[in-house]
Amino acid sequence: MLAIIRTNLLRRFTRTLFTASGIAVGVATIVALLAFTQGLKETAAGFVHLGGSELGVFQANVSEPTASVLPQSIVARLEQRPEVAHATPLLLVVEGLKSDASAIVFGADPAGFFTHNLVLTGGRRPATGAPEVLVGDRLAAQLHLLPGSVLAISGHPYRVAGVYHSGVLFEDSGAVLELAQAQRLTSRPAEVTDVVVQLAPGVRASTAARRIERSFPGTQVITDPQQALRVGANGTLISKAILVIVVIALIVGAISVTNTMAMSVIERQGELGLLSTVGWGPVRVASLILGEGIAVSVLGAAAGLLFGVIGGSLLVRALGVSAYVSPSVTAWGLGRGLLVGVAIGVLGGIYPAWRVTRMRPLKALSAT
Amino acid sequence: MSAPAGAEVTVEGVSKGFGRVSALHDVSLSVSPGEAVAITGRSGSGKSTLLALIGGLEQPDGGRVLIDGRALWKDLHPARARREVVGFVFQRHLLLATLSARANVEVPLIGAGVRRAERRRRALALLEEVGIADRAEHLPSELSGGESQRVAVARALANEPRLLLADEPTGALDSTSSERVLDLLFRLREELGMTLLVVSYDSSVGTRADRTVSLIDGHLAAADGALFQHR
Repeated sequence: MLAIIRTNLLRRFTRTLFTASGIAVGVATIVALLAFTQGLKETAAGFVHLGGSELGVFQANVSEPTASVLPQSIVARLEQRPEVAHATPLLLVVEGLKSDASAIVFGADPAGFFTHNLVLTGGRRPATGAPEVLVGDRLAAQLHLLPGSVLAISGHPYRVAGVYHSGVLFEDSGAVLELAQAQRLTSRPAEVTDVVVQLAPGVRASTAARRIERSFPGTQVITDPQQALRVGANGTLISKAILVIVVIALIVGAISVTNTMAMSVIERQGELGLLSTVGWGPVRVASLILGEGIAVSVLGAAAGLLFGVIGGSLLVRALGVSAYVSPSVTAWGLGRGLLVGVAIGVLGGIYPAWRVTRMRPLKALSAT
Repeated sequence: MSAPAGAEVTVEGVSKGFGRVSALHDVSLSVSPGEAVAITGRSGSGKSTLLALIGGLEQPDGGRVLIDGRALWKDLHPARARREVVGFVFQRHLLLATLSARANVEVPLIGAGVRRAERRRRALALLEEVGIADRAEHLPSELSGGESQRVAVARALANEPRLLLADEPTGALDSTSSERVLDLLFRLREELGMTLLVVSYDSSVGTRADRTVSLIDGHLAAADGALFQHR
Protein backbone atom coordinates (compact mmCIF):
# COMPACT_ATOMS: atom_id res chain seq x y z
CA MET A 1 0.00 0.00 0.00
CA LEU A 2 2.91 2.33 0.71
CA ALA A 3 4.00 2.06 -2.91
CA ILE A 4 0.51 3.06 -4.07
CA ILE A 5 0.47 5.99 -1.62
CA ARG A 6 3.85 7.15 -2.91
CA THR A 7 2.77 6.81 -6.55
CA ASN A 8 -0.47 8.71 -5.93
CA LEU A 9 1.30 11.57 -4.19
CA LEU A 10 3.99 11.80 -6.86
CA ARG A 11 1.59 11.80 -9.79
CA ARG A 12 -0.04 14.93 -8.38
CA PHE A 13 3.31 16.39 -7.43
CA THR A 14 2.43 20.10 -7.59
CA ARG A 15 -0.70 19.67 -5.51
CA THR A 16 1.20 17.54 -2.98
CA LEU A 17 3.94 20.15 -2.86
CA PHE A 18 1.56 23.05 -2.20
CA THR A 19 -0.40 21.15 0.44
CA ALA A 20 2.80 20.04 2.18
CA SER A 21 4.14 23.61 1.98
CA GLY A 22 1.07 24.96 3.75
CA ILE A 23 1.51 22.43 6.53
CA ALA A 24 5.25 23.19 6.66
CA VAL A 25 4.56 26.88 7.30
CA GLY A 26 2.19 26.04 10.17
CA VAL A 27 4.55 23.52 11.75
CA ALA A 28 7.57 25.82 11.26
CA THR A 29 5.74 28.62 13.07
CA ILE A 30 4.93 26.33 15.97
CA VAL A 31 8.47 24.95 16.22
CA ALA A 32 10.03 28.42 15.99
CA LEU A 33 7.76 29.79 18.71
CA LEU A 34 8.35 26.76 20.91
CA ALA A 35 12.12 27.18 20.48
CA PHE A 36 11.73 30.86 21.33
CA THR A 37 9.64 30.12 24.42
CA GLN A 38 12.09 27.47 25.55
CA GLY A 39 14.85 30.06 25.13
CA LEU A 40 12.79 32.49 27.19
CA LYS A 41 12.40 29.88 29.90
CA GLU A 42 16.13 29.34 30.01
CA THR A 43 16.61 33.09 30.17
CA ALA A 44 14.02 33.28 32.91
CA ALA A 45 15.99 30.64 34.80
CA GLY A 46 18.94 33.00 34.76
CA PHE A 47 16.67 35.88 35.64
CA VAL A 48 15.40 34.08 38.73
CA HIS A 49 18.86 33.16 39.89
CA LEU A 50 20.60 36.47 39.18
CA GLY A 51 23.94 36.67 40.91
CA GLY A 52 23.45 33.23 42.43
CA SER A 53 20.21 34.13 44.22
CA GLU A 54 17.54 31.58 45.11
CA LEU A 55 14.52 33.78 44.56
CA GLY A 56 13.55 37.23 43.35
CA VAL A 57 11.00 39.60 44.83
CA PHE A 58 9.06 41.59 42.23
CA GLN A 59 6.07 43.88 42.11
CA ALA A 60 2.92 41.81 41.60
CA ASN A 61 0.75 41.97 38.47
CA VAL A 62 3.27 43.62 36.16
CA SER A 63 3.31 43.21 32.36
CA GLU A 64 6.76 41.65 32.60
CA PRO A 65 9.36 41.29 35.37
CA THR A 66 11.53 44.15 34.07
CA ALA A 67 8.58 46.55 34.53
CA SER A 68 8.48 45.87 38.28
CA VAL A 69 8.97 48.83 40.67
CA LEU A 70 9.70 48.35 44.40
CA PRO A 71 10.82 50.81 47.09
CA GLN A 72 14.47 50.33 47.99
CA SER A 73 13.50 50.38 51.66
CA ILE A 74 12.09 46.89 51.26
CA VAL A 75 15.65 45.50 51.14
CA ALA A 76 16.40 46.28 54.79
CA ARG A 77 13.08 44.79 55.89
CA LEU A 78 13.71 41.66 53.89
CA GLU A 79 17.16 41.20 55.42
CA GLN A 80 15.58 41.18 58.87
CA ARG A 81 13.45 38.16 58.07
CA PRO A 82 14.66 34.84 59.50
CA GLU A 83 14.34 32.94 56.20
CA VAL A 84 16.58 35.48 54.38
CA ALA A 85 20.38 35.26 54.58
CA HIS A 86 21.16 38.09 52.15
CA ALA A 87 19.09 40.42 50.00
CA THR A 88 20.38 42.85 47.40
CA PRO A 89 18.47 45.27 45.16
CA LEU A 90 18.68 45.48 41.38
CA LEU A 91 17.50 48.22 39.07
CA LEU A 92 17.25 46.97 35.49
CA VAL A 93 17.85 49.55 32.77
CA VAL A 94 16.46 48.20 29.51
CA GLU A 95 17.29 49.71 26.14
CA GLY A 96 19.94 51.80 27.84
CA LEU A 97 22.60 50.93 25.29
CA LYS A 98 22.03 52.38 21.85
CA SER A 99 24.80 50.21 20.47
CA ASP A 100 22.94 47.06 21.59
CA ALA A 101 19.34 47.75 22.51
CA SER A 102 18.80 44.21 23.78
CA ALA A 103 21.53 44.44 26.42
CA ILE A 104 20.43 45.04 30.01
CA VAL A 105 22.27 47.37 32.37
CA PHE A 106 22.03 46.18 35.97
CA GLY A 107 22.08 48.82 38.64
CA ALA A 108 23.50 46.90 41.62
CA ASP A 109 24.67 47.63 45.16
CA PRO A 110 28.50 47.40 45.03
CA ALA A 111 28.44 45.74 48.45
CA GLY A 112 25.74 43.21 47.53
CA PHE A 113 26.30 39.58 46.58
CA PHE A 114 25.26 40.22 42.98
CA THR A 115 28.25 42.47 42.30
CA HIS A 116 30.47 40.48 44.61
CA ASN A 117 29.84 37.21 42.68
CA LEU A 118 30.95 38.64 39.31
CA VAL A 119 34.31 37.23 38.28
CA LEU A 120 36.54 39.88 36.76
CA THR A 121 38.41 38.76 33.66
CA GLY A 122 40.04 42.12 33.06
CA GLY A 123 40.44 45.56 34.67
CA ARG A 124 39.18 46.35 38.15
CA ARG A 125 35.97 47.10 40.05
CA PRO A 126 34.59 50.67 39.65
CA ALA A 127 35.54 53.28 42.21
CA THR A 128 32.63 54.35 44.41
CA GLY A 129 30.75 57.34 42.93
CA ALA A 130 32.91 57.41 39.78
CA PRO A 131 31.22 57.32 36.33
CA GLU A 132 32.48 53.81 35.72
CA VAL A 133 30.87 50.59 34.62
CA LEU A 134 31.59 46.87 34.47
CA VAL A 135 30.74 45.12 31.22
CA GLY A 136 30.02 41.45 30.60
CA ASP A 137 32.49 39.53 28.47
CA ARG A 138 29.92 38.85 25.71
CA LEU A 139 29.01 42.53 25.46
CA ALA A 140 32.69 43.49 25.56
CA ALA A 141 33.43 41.12 22.70
CA GLN A 142 30.44 42.33 20.72
CA LEU A 143 31.18 46.05 21.13
CA HIS A 144 34.97 45.62 21.22
CA LEU A 145 35.18 47.14 24.72
CA LEU A 146 38.27 46.99 26.91
CA PRO A 147 39.05 48.47 30.31
CA GLY A 148 39.42 52.17 29.64
CA SER A 149 36.90 52.24 26.78
CA VAL A 150 33.90 54.55 27.00
CA LEU A 151 30.36 53.19 26.92
CA ALA A 152 27.31 55.45 26.51
CA ILE A 153 24.36 54.45 28.70
CA SER A 154 21.17 56.41 28.04
CA GLY A 155 23.32 59.04 26.41
CA HIS A 156 25.74 59.40 29.34
CA PRO A 157 29.39 58.35 28.99
CA TYR A 158 30.81 55.77 31.41
CA ARG A 159 34.33 54.46 31.44
CA VAL A 160 34.72 50.70 31.42
CA ALA A 161 36.52 49.81 34.65
CA GLY A 162 36.53 46.05 34.10
CA VAL A 163 35.15 43.06 32.23
CA TYR A 164 33.35 40.24 34.06
CA HIS A 165 31.99 36.77 33.48
CA SER A 166 29.08 35.31 35.42
CA GLY A 167 27.97 32.38 33.28
CA VAL A 168 24.43 33.72 32.90
CA LEU A 169 23.80 34.63 29.25
CA PHE A 170 22.15 37.96 29.66
CA GLU A 171 24.29 39.05 32.61
CA ASP A 172 27.32 38.47 30.42
CA SER A 173 25.56 40.27 27.56
CA GLY A 174 24.92 43.34 29.73
CA ALA A 175 26.68 45.78 32.03
CA VAL A 176 26.68 46.53 35.76
CA LEU A 177 26.44 50.05 37.10
CA GLU A 178 26.48 51.25 40.69
CA LEU A 179 22.85 51.28 41.92
CA ALA A 180 22.87 54.95 42.94
CA GLN A 181 24.14 55.93 39.50
CA ALA A 182 21.49 53.80 37.78
CA GLN A 183 18.80 55.47 39.90
CA ARG A 184 20.05 58.93 38.93
CA LEU A 185 20.29 57.91 35.29
CA THR A 186 16.68 56.73 35.22
CA SER A 187 15.40 59.44 37.57
CA ARG A 188 14.12 56.77 39.95
CA PRO A 189 15.67 57.60 43.30
CA ALA A 190 15.02 55.03 46.03
CA GLU A 191 13.38 52.65 43.59
CA VAL A 192 14.50 49.24 42.43
CA THR A 193 13.18 46.69 39.96
CA ASP A 194 13.52 43.68 42.22
CA VAL A 195 15.35 42.30 45.19
CA VAL A 196 17.29 39.08 44.78
CA VAL A 197 17.53 36.89 47.84
CA GLN A 198 19.80 34.19 49.19
CA LEU A 199 18.00 32.05 51.73
CA ALA A 200 19.09 31.04 55.21
CA PRO A 201 20.35 27.44 55.44
CA GLY A 202 17.59 24.82 55.53
CA VAL A 203 14.84 27.12 54.30
CA ARG A 204 12.83 25.91 51.30
CA ALA A 205 12.31 28.45 48.52
CA SER A 206 8.56 27.75 48.29
CA THR A 207 8.10 28.23 52.03
CA ALA A 208 10.11 31.45 52.00
CA ALA A 209 8.17 32.72 48.98
CA ARG A 210 4.85 32.16 50.72
CA ARG A 211 5.97 33.95 53.88
CA ILE A 212 7.50 36.91 52.03
CA GLU A 213 4.43 37.43 49.86
CA ARG A 214 2.26 37.37 52.99
CA SER A 215 4.47 39.88 54.79
CA PHE A 216 4.87 42.21 51.79
CA PRO A 217 1.51 42.69 50.10
CA GLY A 218 1.76 43.74 46.46
CA THR A 219 4.88 41.68 45.84
CA GLN A 220 5.35 38.45 43.98
CA VAL A 221 8.18 36.08 44.67
CA ILE A 222 9.58 34.11 41.76
CA THR A 223 11.37 30.90 42.55
CA ASP A 224 11.41 29.02 39.23
CA PRO A 225 11.65 29.88 35.50
CA GLN A 226 8.10 28.74 34.71
CA GLN A 227 6.84 31.15 37.33
CA ALA A 228 8.96 33.94 35.87
CA LEU A 229 7.31 33.37 32.51
CA ARG A 230 3.86 33.24 34.05
CA VAL A 231 4.39 36.40 36.05
CA GLY A 232 5.20 38.35 32.93
CA ALA A 233 2.21 39.13 30.77
CA ASN A 234 4.51 38.89 27.72
CA GLY A 235 5.48 35.33 28.58
CA THR A 236 1.85 34.44 29.13
CA LEU A 237 0.95 36.13 25.88
CA ILE A 238 3.53 34.08 23.99
CA SER A 239 2.29 30.84 25.56
CA LYS A 240 -1.28 31.70 24.61
CA ALA A 241 -0.22 32.82 21.15
CA ILE A 242 1.42 29.44 20.60
CA LEU A 243 -1.76 27.67 21.63
CA VAL A 244 -3.80 29.84 19.27
CA ILE A 245 -1.33 29.24 16.42
CA VAL A 246 -1.40 25.48 17.06
CA VAL A 247 -5.19 25.50 16.86
CA ILE A 248 -5.19 27.69 13.74
CA ALA A 249 -2.51 25.52 12.12
CA LEU A 250 -4.56 22.43 12.89
CA ILE A 251 -7.75 23.91 11.46
CA VAL A 252 -6.20 25.50 8.36
CA GLY A 253 -3.96 22.49 7.74
CA ALA A 254 -6.81 20.03 8.19
CA ILE A 255 -9.04 22.03 5.83
CA SER A 256 -6.23 22.12 3.29
CA VAL A 257 -5.66 18.37 3.52
CA THR A 258 -9.41 17.71 3.46
CA ASN A 259 -9.75 19.81 0.33
CA THR A 260 -6.83 18.10 -1.37
CA MET A 261 -7.95 14.61 -0.46
CA ALA A 262 -11.61 15.27 -1.24
CA MET A 263 -10.62 16.51 -4.70
CA SER A 264 -8.43 13.48 -5.09
CA VAL A 265 -11.29 11.16 -4.09
CA ILE A 266 -13.64 12.78 -6.61
CA GLU A 267 -11.05 12.59 -9.39
CA ARG A 268 -10.18 9.00 -8.57
CA GLN A 269 -13.65 7.58 -8.09
CA GLY A 270 -13.07 5.03 -10.84
CA GLU A 271 -9.76 3.93 -9.39
CA LEU A 272 -11.19 3.64 -5.88
CA GLY A 273 -14.21 1.80 -7.25
CA LEU A 274 -11.85 -0.60 -8.95
CA LEU A 275 -9.99 -1.27 -5.70
CA SER A 276 -13.33 -2.10 -4.14
CA THR A 277 -14.18 -4.33 -7.11
CA VAL A 278 -11.00 -6.36 -6.73
CA GLY A 279 -11.74 -7.06 -3.08
CA TRP A 280 -10.40 -4.14 -1.08
CA GLY A 281 -12.75 -3.67 1.85
CA PRO A 282 -14.09 -0.18 2.71
CA VAL A 283 -11.69 0.12 5.65
CA ARG A 284 -8.66 -0.66 3.49
CA VAL A 285 -9.68 1.82 0.77
CA ALA A 286 -10.34 4.44 3.46
CA SER A 287 -6.92 3.65 4.96
CA LEU A 288 -5.33 4.40 1.61
CA ILE A 289 -6.92 7.85 1.55
CA LEU A 290 -6.09 8.47 5.20
CA GLY A 291 -2.55 7.23 4.57
CA GLU A 292 -2.12 9.67 1.70
CA GLY A 293 -3.36 12.51 3.91
CA ILE A 294 -0.97 11.56 6.69
CA ALA A 295 1.94 11.08 4.27
CA VAL A 296 1.54 14.57 2.77
CA SER A 297 1.22 16.03 6.28
CA VAL A 298 4.30 14.24 7.57
CA LEU A 299 6.24 15.48 4.54
CA GLY A 300 5.08 19.01 5.30
CA ALA A 301 5.80 18.60 9.00
CA ALA A 302 9.33 17.32 8.31
CA ALA A 303 10.06 20.39 6.18
CA GLY A 304 8.35 22.51 8.84
CA LEU A 305 10.68 21.16 11.56
CA LEU A 306 13.69 22.21 9.53
CA PHE A 307 12.30 25.65 8.74
CA GLY A 308 11.17 26.04 12.36
CA VAL A 309 14.70 25.50 13.69
CA ILE A 310 16.00 28.15 11.28
CA GLY A 311 12.97 30.36 11.98
CA GLY A 312 13.64 30.28 15.73
CA SER A 313 17.01 31.97 15.24
CA LEU A 314 15.56 34.47 12.79
CA LEU A 315 12.77 35.30 15.23
CA VAL A 316 15.07 36.30 18.11
CA ARG A 317 17.12 38.41 15.73
CA ALA A 318 14.00 40.08 14.32
CA LEU A 319 12.80 40.86 17.84
CA GLY A 320 16.22 42.19 18.80
CA VAL A 321 16.53 39.90 21.81
CA SER A 322 19.32 37.67 20.58
CA ALA A 323 21.62 38.96 23.32
CA TYR A 324 19.66 37.36 26.11
CA VAL A 325 17.30 34.90 24.44
CA SER A 326 18.83 31.97 22.66
CA PRO A 327 16.24 29.79 20.84
CA SER A 328 16.35 26.32 22.29
CA VAL A 329 15.14 23.44 20.16
CA THR A 330 14.17 20.44 22.27
CA ALA A 331 13.16 16.95 21.22
CA TRP A 332 9.75 17.57 22.77
CA GLY A 333 9.41 20.80 20.78
CA LEU A 334 10.17 18.95 17.55
CA GLY A 335 7.91 16.10 18.65
CA ARG A 336 5.02 18.50 19.18
CA GLY A 337 5.57 19.95 15.69
CA LEU A 338 5.52 16.46 14.19
CA LEU A 339 2.48 15.56 16.25
CA VAL A 340 0.62 18.58 14.91
CA GLY A 341 1.59 17.50 11.38
CA VAL A 342 0.27 13.97 11.90
CA ALA A 343 -2.89 15.34 13.57
CA ILE A 344 -3.47 17.56 10.52
CA GLY A 345 -3.18 14.50 8.26
CA VAL A 346 -5.56 12.43 10.37
CA LEU A 347 -8.13 15.21 10.81
CA GLY A 348 -7.91 16.22 7.16
CA GLY A 349 -8.18 12.66 5.92
CA ILE A 350 -11.19 11.62 8.00
CA TYR A 351 -13.92 13.16 5.85
CA PRO A 352 -12.56 12.03 2.45
CA ALA A 353 -11.92 8.57 3.91
CA TRP A 354 -15.47 8.43 5.23
CA ARG A 355 -16.77 9.43 1.80
CA VAL A 356 -14.87 6.55 0.27
CA THR A 357 -16.55 4.07 2.59
CA ARG A 358 -19.95 5.37 1.35
CA MET A 359 -18.97 4.98 -2.30
CA ARG A 360 -20.93 2.48 -4.41
CA PRO A 361 -18.41 0.55 -6.52
CA LEU A 362 -20.58 0.31 -9.63
CA LYS A 363 -21.34 4.03 -9.63
CA ALA A 364 -17.68 4.81 -8.98
CA LEU A 365 -16.60 2.61 -11.87
CA SER A 366 -19.03 4.32 -14.21
CA ALA A 367 -17.33 7.65 -13.36
CA THR A 368 -14.16 6.60 -15.23
CA MET B 1 -1.21 -22.88 -10.08
CA SER B 2 -3.82 -24.73 -8.01
CA ALA B 3 -7.18 -25.47 -9.59
CA PRO B 4 -9.97 -24.12 -7.39
CA ALA B 5 -13.39 -25.68 -7.86
CA GLY B 6 -16.10 -23.50 -9.34
CA ALA B 7 -18.62 -21.69 -7.18
CA GLU B 8 -22.33 -22.36 -7.24
CA VAL B 9 -24.43 -19.26 -7.92
CA THR B 10 -28.12 -18.95 -7.08
CA VAL B 11 -30.12 -15.85 -7.89
CA GLU B 12 -33.51 -15.87 -6.18
CA GLY B 13 -36.21 -13.43 -7.29
CA VAL B 14 -33.84 -10.51 -7.57
CA SER B 15 -35.10 -7.04 -8.42
CA LYS B 16 -33.15 -3.85 -8.79
CA GLY B 17 -34.09 -0.32 -9.74
CA PHE B 18 -32.17 2.91 -10.16
CA GLY B 19 -34.48 5.75 -9.24
CA ARG B 20 -37.64 5.30 -11.28
CA VAL B 21 -36.00 2.89 -13.71
CA SER B 22 -36.47 -0.80 -12.99
CA ALA B 23 -33.32 -2.56 -14.22
CA LEU B 24 -34.15 -6.11 -13.10
CA HIS B 25 -37.47 -7.58 -12.15
CA ASP B 26 -37.85 -10.81 -10.19
CA VAL B 27 -34.94 -12.61 -11.84
CA SER B 28 -33.99 -16.12 -10.76
CA LEU B 29 -31.06 -18.11 -12.06
CA SER B 30 -29.02 -21.09 -10.96
CA VAL B 31 -25.50 -21.71 -12.13
CA SER B 32 -23.75 -24.98 -11.31
CA PRO B 33 -20.11 -25.10 -10.13
CA GLY B 34 -17.78 -24.93 -13.13
CA GLU B 35 -20.53 -24.01 -15.56
CA ALA B 36 -19.98 -21.34 -18.23
CA VAL B 37 -23.04 -19.21 -18.86
CA ALA B 38 -23.40 -16.53 -21.49
CA ILE B 39 -25.80 -13.71 -20.64
CA THR B 40 -27.15 -11.90 -23.65
CA GLY B 41 -29.68 -9.20 -24.25
CA ARG B 42 -30.10 -5.81 -25.80
CA SER B 43 -28.57 -2.68 -24.37
CA GLY B 44 -30.36 -1.69 -21.16
CA SER B 45 -31.83 -5.15 -20.62
CA GLY B 46 -30.14 -5.47 -17.20
CA LYS B 47 -27.21 -7.80 -18.04
CA SER B 48 -24.54 -5.71 -16.36
CA THR B 49 -26.82 -5.03 -13.39
CA LEU B 50 -27.33 -8.77 -12.93
CA LEU B 51 -23.57 -9.30 -12.96
CA ALA B 52 -23.07 -6.41 -10.51
CA LEU B 53 -25.60 -7.97 -8.14
CA ILE B 54 -23.95 -11.39 -8.37
CA GLY B 55 -20.57 -9.78 -7.68
CA GLY B 56 -21.91 -7.74 -4.75
CA LEU B 57 -21.18 -4.40 -6.41
CA GLU B 58 -24.80 -3.44 -5.83
CA GLN B 59 -27.35 -4.59 -3.30
CA PRO B 60 -30.63 -5.95 -4.66
CA ASP B 61 -33.88 -4.16 -3.76
CA GLY B 62 -35.59 -7.52 -3.47
CA GLY B 63 -34.59 -11.18 -3.55
CA ARG B 64 -31.12 -12.47 -2.83
CA VAL B 65 -27.94 -13.80 -4.34
CA LEU B 66 -26.30 -16.90 -2.90
CA ILE B 67 -22.76 -18.01 -3.57
CA ASP B 68 -22.12 -21.58 -2.50
CA GLY B 69 -25.32 -21.34 -0.47
CA ARG B 70 -24.25 -18.19 1.42
CA ALA B 71 -26.37 -15.09 0.95
CA LEU B 72 -24.46 -12.04 -0.16
CA TRP B 73 -24.83 -9.00 2.14
CA LYS B 74 -26.09 -11.30 4.89
CA ASP B 75 -23.88 -14.36 5.34
CA LEU B 76 -21.08 -13.16 3.10
CA HIS B 77 -19.80 -9.56 2.98
CA PRO B 78 -19.53 -8.50 -0.66
CA ALA B 79 -15.97 -7.17 -0.28
CA ARG B 80 -14.95 -10.50 1.19
CA ALA B 81 -16.72 -12.33 -1.64
CA ARG B 82 -14.78 -10.28 -4.20
CA ARG B 83 -11.58 -10.93 -2.30
CA GLU B 84 -12.02 -14.67 -1.93
CA VAL B 85 -14.52 -15.98 -4.48
CA VAL B 86 -15.27 -13.55 -7.31
CA GLY B 87 -13.09 -12.08 -10.04
CA PHE B 88 -14.24 -9.31 -12.40
CA VAL B 89 -13.32 -8.47 -15.98
CA PHE B 90 -14.91 -5.39 -17.52
CA GLN B 91 -15.34 -4.06 -21.03
CA ARG B 92 -12.59 -1.54 -20.33
CA HIS B 93 -9.47 -2.89 -18.72
CA LEU B 94 -9.55 -0.26 -15.90
CA LEU B 95 -5.85 -0.67 -15.19
CA LEU B 96 -4.25 1.89 -12.87
CA ALA B 97 -2.32 4.13 -15.26
CA THR B 98 0.67 4.79 -13.00
CA LEU B 99 1.33 1.16 -12.14
CA SER B 100 3.08 -1.44 -14.30
CA ALA B 101 1.21 -4.49 -15.58
CA ARG B 102 2.72 -6.55 -12.77
CA ALA B 103 1.82 -3.99 -10.12
CA ASN B 104 -1.75 -3.86 -11.45
CA VAL B 105 -2.05 -7.62 -11.05
CA GLU B 106 -0.71 -7.27 -7.51
CA VAL B 107 -3.44 -4.80 -6.48
CA PRO B 108 -6.05 -7.42 -5.45
CA LEU B 109 -3.33 -9.28 -3.55
CA ILE B 110 -2.55 -6.12 -1.55
CA GLY B 111 -6.24 -6.03 -0.64
CA ALA B 112 -5.98 -9.63 0.49
CA GLY B 113 -2.93 -8.88 2.65
CA VAL B 114 -0.52 -11.09 0.66
CA ARG B 115 3.16 -10.36 1.36
CA ARG B 116 5.21 -8.51 -1.20
CA ALA B 117 7.44 -11.36 -2.41
CA GLU B 118 4.49 -13.70 -2.77
CA ARG B 119 2.50 -11.00 -4.59
CA ARG B 120 5.27 -10.51 -7.07
CA ARG B 121 5.66 -14.24 -7.67
CA ARG B 122 1.95 -14.75 -8.22
CA ALA B 123 1.58 -11.71 -10.46
CA LEU B 124 4.41 -12.84 -12.71
CA ALA B 125 2.99 -16.37 -12.87
CA LEU B 126 -0.39 -14.98 -13.89
CA LEU B 127 1.09 -12.72 -16.55
CA GLU B 128 2.91 -15.80 -17.84
CA GLU B 129 -0.40 -17.66 -17.82
CA VAL B 130 -2.12 -14.99 -19.94
CA GLY B 131 0.89 -14.82 -22.27
CA ILE B 132 2.15 -11.37 -21.48
CA ALA B 133 5.04 -11.96 -19.07
CA ASP B 134 7.45 -10.05 -21.33
CA ARG B 135 5.38 -6.89 -20.79
CA ALA B 136 5.28 -7.20 -16.99
CA GLU B 137 7.08 -3.94 -16.25
CA HIS B 138 5.30 -1.90 -18.91
CA LEU B 139 2.77 0.77 -18.06
CA PRO B 140 -0.78 0.41 -19.42
CA SER B 141 -0.08 3.27 -21.84
CA GLU B 142 2.61 1.09 -23.40
CA LEU B 143 0.27 -1.85 -23.99
CA SER B 144 -2.24 -2.49 -26.77
CA GLY B 145 -5.94 -2.86 -25.98
CA GLY B 146 -5.76 -6.65 -26.20
CA GLU B 147 -2.67 -6.78 -24.02
CA SER B 148 -4.27 -4.51 -21.43
CA GLN B 149 -7.34 -6.70 -21.33
CA ARG B 150 -5.17 -9.77 -20.79
CA VAL B 151 -3.55 -7.96 -17.85
CA ALA B 152 -7.08 -7.26 -16.58
CA VAL B 153 -7.85 -11.00 -16.85
CA ALA B 154 -4.68 -11.79 -14.91
CA ARG B 155 -5.73 -9.25 -12.25
CA ALA B 156 -9.18 -10.89 -12.04
CA LEU B 157 -7.48 -14.23 -11.42
CA ALA B 158 -5.03 -12.94 -8.82
CA ASN B 159 -7.05 -14.04 -5.82
CA GLU B 160 -7.75 -17.44 -7.40
CA PRO B 161 -11.49 -16.83 -7.78
CA ARG B 162 -13.97 -19.67 -8.16
CA LEU B 163 -16.39 -17.42 -10.00
CA LEU B 164 -15.29 -15.20 -12.87
CA LEU B 165 -17.69 -12.47 -13.97
CA ALA B 166 -16.90 -10.91 -17.33
CA ASP B 167 -18.94 -7.90 -18.42
CA GLU B 168 -18.53 -7.53 -22.18
CA PRO B 169 -14.82 -8.33 -21.94
CA THR B 170 -14.31 -7.97 -25.69
CA GLY B 171 -16.53 -4.94 -26.21
CA ALA B 172 -13.62 -2.55 -26.68
CA LEU B 173 -11.41 -4.88 -28.73
CA ASP B 174 -10.96 -5.61 -32.42
CA SER B 175 -12.00 -9.03 -33.69
CA THR B 176 -8.54 -10.60 -33.46
CA SER B 177 -7.98 -9.40 -29.92
CA SER B 178 -11.54 -10.42 -29.01
CA GLU B 179 -10.90 -13.96 -30.15
CA ARG B 180 -7.68 -14.14 -28.15
CA VAL B 181 -9.30 -12.84 -24.98
CA LEU B 182 -12.26 -15.22 -25.31
CA ASP B 183 -9.88 -18.12 -26.00
CA LEU B 184 -8.02 -17.14 -22.86
CA LEU B 185 -11.12 -16.87 -20.67
CA PHE B 186 -12.58 -20.19 -21.72
CA ARG B 187 -9.20 -21.94 -21.58
CA LEU B 188 -8.61 -20.70 -18.06
CA ARG B 189 -12.12 -21.73 -17.08
CA GLU B 190 -11.35 -25.24 -18.37
CA GLU B 191 -7.99 -25.40 -16.61
CA LEU B 192 -9.06 -23.88 -13.33
CA GLY B 193 -12.57 -25.26 -13.15
CA MET B 194 -14.05 -21.84 -12.40
CA THR B 195 -17.66 -20.92 -12.89
CA LEU B 196 -17.83 -18.34 -15.66
CA LEU B 197 -20.56 -15.81 -16.37
CA VAL B 198 -20.00 -13.73 -19.47
CA VAL B 199 -22.14 -10.82 -20.56
CA SER B 200 -21.65 -10.27 -24.28
CA TYR B 201 -23.16 -9.14 -27.54
CA ASP B 202 -20.66 -11.43 -29.25
CA SER B 203 -22.54 -14.43 -30.68
CA SER B 204 -19.40 -16.58 -30.48
CA VAL B 205 -19.56 -16.40 -26.69
CA GLY B 206 -22.85 -18.29 -26.77
CA THR B 207 -21.33 -21.10 -28.80
CA ARG B 208 -18.43 -21.47 -26.36
CA ALA B 209 -20.61 -21.37 -23.22
CA ASP B 210 -22.46 -24.34 -21.74
CA ARG B 211 -25.66 -22.34 -21.67
CA THR B 212 -27.03 -19.01 -22.74
CA VAL B 213 -29.60 -16.95 -20.87
CA SER B 214 -31.20 -13.81 -22.22
CA LEU B 215 -32.57 -10.74 -20.53
CA ILE B 216 -35.37 -8.68 -21.99
CA ASP B 217 -36.20 -5.42 -20.22
CA GLY B 218 -35.02 -6.73 -16.89
CA HIS B 219 -36.78 -10.09 -17.18
CA LEU B 220 -35.06 -13.40 -17.73
CA ALA B 221 -36.17 -14.98 -21.03
CA ALA B 222 -36.12 -18.55 -22.29
CA ALA B 223 -34.07 -19.52 -25.31
CA ASP B 224 -37.10 -18.90 -27.55
CA GLY B 225 -37.55 -15.46 -26.08
CA ALA B 226 -40.54 -16.25 -23.84
CA LEU B 227 -40.27 -14.75 -20.39
CA PHE B 228 -39.60 -17.02 -17.42
CA GLN B 229 -42.14 -16.62 -14.68
CA HIS B 230 -40.57 -16.85 -11.29
CA ARG B 231 -42.64 -18.77 -8.81
